Amino acid sequence: MALLDAQTLSRLQGVKLRARAVMEGVLSGLHKSPHQGQSVEFAEHKEYAPGDELRHLDWKAYGKFDKYYIKRFEHETNLRSVMVVDASASMGYRSGALSKLEVSTILAGALCYLLVRQQDAAGLAVMVGEAFKDVPPRASAGHLNVLLDALEHTQPQGTTNLASAADHLAEVLPRRSTVIVLSDLLDEREDALKRILALRQRKNDVVLFHVVDPAELTFPFDDPTLFLDMEGDARIEVNPREIKESYLEEFGAFLASVKAACAEADVDYELVRTDERLDEVLLRFLARRGRRR
Amino acid sequence: MTFGNPWMLLGALGALIPLLVHLFDRRRPRPHPFGPMAFVLRSQKRTASRLKLKRLLLYALRTLILLAIPVALARPELRRDAAASAVAKGPAATAVVLDASLSMRWADGTSLFERGRDEARDALKDLQADEPSTVLVCTSAPAAPPPPGFDRARLRAIIDEARPTYGTADLSRCMELAARALEENPTPGKRLVLVSDMTAAAFRLESPPPTVKDPTGKRVRPEVVLRDAAEGREALPNHSLVELKVEPALQAGPRAFQFTFTVKNQSPEAVKDVEAAVRVGEAALAKGFVDVPANGTAQKSLTVRFPQGGTVEGAVTLAPDALPEDDQRSFVLPVPRALKALVINGAPHATRYRDEAFFVEAALTAPGSPVEVSMRDMDAGLRENYAAYDLVLLLNVPAPSAEDAERLAAFVTAGGGLFVSMGDRVDPDSYNSRLGALLPRALRLVRTSVEREDPEAETKSAKLAKVEVEHPLFSPFTGRAEEGLVGARFYRYMLLEADNPAATGASQVLATYEDGAPAVAVARRGKGRVGLFTSTVDRDWSDFAIRTSFLPLMQRFAAYLTGSLEEREEQRVRVGETVTLRPEGGQVIAAVRAPDGTELAVKAQQDGSVVAGPLLEPGLYAVLGAEGKPLQALDFAVMLDPVESDLTRLPSDTLTAYFGEETVKASSGDAERPKVPLWTWLIVAACAAFFFEGTLLRK
Repeated sequence: MALLDAQTLSRLQGVKLRARAVMEGVLSGLHKSPHQGQSVEFAEHKEYAPGDELRHLDWKAYGKFDKYYIKRFEHETNLRSVMVVDASASMGYRSGALSKLEVSTILAGALCYLLVRQQDAAGLAVMVGEAFKDVPPRASAGHLNVLLDALEHTQPQGTTNLASAADHLAEVLPRRSTVIVLSDLLDEREDALKRILALRQRKNDVVLFHVVDPAELTFPFDDPTLFLDMEGDARIEVNPREIKESYLEEFGAFLASVKAACAEADVDYELVRTDERLDEVLLRFLARRGRRR
Repeated sequence: MTFGNPWMLLGALGALIPLLVHLFDRRRPRPHPFGPMAFVLRSQKRTASRLKLKRLLLYALRTLILLAIPVALARPELRRDAAASAVAKGPAATAVVLDASLSMRWADGTSLFERGRDEARDALKDLQADEPSTVLVCTSAPAAPPPPGFDRARLRAIIDEARPTYGTADLSRCMELAARALEENPTPGKRLVLVSDMTAAAFRLESPPPTVKDPTGKRVRPEVVLRDAAEGREALPNHSLVELKVEPALQAGPRAFQFTFTVKNQSPEAVKDVEAAVRVGEAALAKGFVDVPANGTAQKSLTVRFPQGGTVEGAVTLAPDALPEDDQRSFVLPVPRALKALVINGAPHATRYRDEAFFVEAALTAPGSPVEVSMRDMDAGLRENYAAYDLVLLLNVPAPSAEDAERLAAFVTAGGGLFVSMGDRVDPDSYNSRLGALLPRALRLVRTSVEREDPEAETKSAKLAKVEVEHPLFSPFTGRAEEGLVGARFYRYMLLEADNPAATGASQVLATYEDGAPAVAVARRGKGRVGLFTSTVDRDWSDFAIRTSFLPLMQRFAAYLTGSLEEREEQRVRVGETVTLRPEGGQVIAAVRAPDGTELAVKAQQDGSVVAGPLLEPGLYAVLGAEGKPLQALDFAVMLDPVESDLTRLPSDTLTAYFGEETVKASSGDAERPKVPLWTWLIVAACAAFFFEGTLLRK
């Protein structure tokens, strides 16, 4: 498990290795989880009614009770998931071992592993500025390499445009898909987050991984600093100690507003710090999903 | 403003450091690409105005710290500013006049004199090094001060050793003496520094202000610095005992006295329930309370009955105030002692009220009387040993034999008292031949104004017309008490010769009838006294014996003739005066012991009296005879001058006008000066600035 901290992951070369390490960590953690079996499982019996499929008739029950019963199952169909990775310039910020983008790609890769392993379809949409790099969802084992290659070659650039991403996904995604967004949400446009959350209204299951750097949370700067905007030309010279209190208030309010908006839109929200163990992030996420079901 | 360490002011340049740091410390900030720039920008915008104010405050506080510390170390003093301006024209010979009068003893925790000494020390400290100076401690008898010099230690010692007196101080005179001393110094500038409570009584504003000679010989006013020991107070509240009168209170007994004292309140507010008491030693014999209106006076009387005779020494006291010295006054009081009287009855009678001595005996043995009476008839009485008695009364006694007359004369000369009253048995010629030298005046003949049985006796009888109420014998018979005397009717009385050429001392007629004939005559014979009553002491020749005045008059006769009624005038000696003492008989006065225990030498005078003093302390003075033997009868009390109890202050305008507005350079007082040196406030300010700077930085 010591392999999975940020420092160790940063030493592993490539998303494939990193995502696999995280995925294996998750799988070993799942044995302890009460949510065993991600595949199709028996749920209950139902008395036969005309129109029910005969292949689900439980002949053993008929032998015992002399009545026709139909077996009912959960998740009778395969899951269709798309990882939406924000690759804007601000995602390249790092104060520790991994940048926000690296954390996002590792998480996305690990999730792809998990999905393909249980025969679910996994796809990818990488936001690079205004452009998108799409990999349609498929459930084949060979598709995993395509996904991981796409993540491997992602570099931070351009500005964050969540609204544009939302519009694009609305076009390409079939209904009732699972959309997993990994972003720092640093988009100052007024309705950017709302547009993403609106995907939920199209019967999609939306999950938001909010990736933040610890320095963004604690603002640990002391000396006078010239802050440069990573997605624009803005720059400002300040004494960080003088504005720290105000910054923390502002950022805290931002996090709270995002969390509140997700709760209101029935979207799963997960705050991810780039310095925490990613297998624990995924286990925490899966556990919450299990409770929801 | 002056500075104790002016070179420390160079450190004030350090106050420029924050400005220089602000101007030149332009360190390049570290560039840092950052994602959530929007939050940084918003935070900067939100806090910009507050940060600007904070930076300004920090700059101000740091400048204040760096400025206050070196200025404080330079020890600035505003107080010295006045003195500095006074000496700005150049050095001046200075004389410090320190008021040491009684009023400077006024204290509200610290006495004015203590404050005055501090002011005098400060005055010396404020002088420049090249200014010669001298000190004059102003008392009731000031001595010329030493010439101005540079021995400051000696002057400080004079101030340290100075003590407040109990007397007055003539500040005008002291200022004049100080000005004379300044003239002896060649320094062109002259300065008088007056340290006083500025009470009006200490100045003689009608006299010209002090002057000194300038280099041309012209008289000019010196510079005057007024240092107010009372620190600018408008009033110095004080009540005092200004007058004390002690009189016998016969109605309360032979040894009863009424103490009447006047209390003066010299404050703008009335005082109530001031405790007043008559004390002997630690015991309070009488107590009372007195209310005194604002700036007014009130009288209070307390009656004290002394248990035994003799000289009593005590004090009348008021509840002490800020000036306790004037709240008491000592007294020395001769209280009548027990007397033995021999009454020789010349006309005894079986019926008591017709007996010659009946009324006299009743009067002398009345309750409370100090007289112990022995009654004798003529034969037995004239054979008595007179030395066993203080007083002999001859009541209608025929002229004694020559031998008895000689014994009587010897008795009187040795200090005994003799009372003689007339009657049918008194033969003028026999009396004149045997007792002529003893009697105040020779007897002439009996005069009958009217027969007692006469129906018109009421109107035709003689009455007393003139009574010497100033004399101790008759002093109580004033006002309504006089009616008891003038109402008495005299049917017959002895006329006296106009003069007694045989007598060595002059006689004194104390009461006369309407026709001018003497009714009472007294004379001193040797150490004793003789009293002559020209009518009878029973009802044969007058009805005086049944009058209300008879009893007290007979008792006073007994006291007066035995010397118990003090004829000697009370010694009214004030602090600063001398006292003249007259020894009696063979008494020798060796010394006088002051209240503080010191013995004062006395100076013999040609007339036999001795002089002691000047007496510098109020209270009881004991007179010592040969070998230190106390002569208590001569003891006396010294009182304060009531003038010094008047603490009315002169307004500064008046003083300035008196000394000359152009010469009074600094009218200083602690009220006008900072009580705490300025540098301590600067340190406090620096500490406060340091604290706030730290607090601001933490925010």
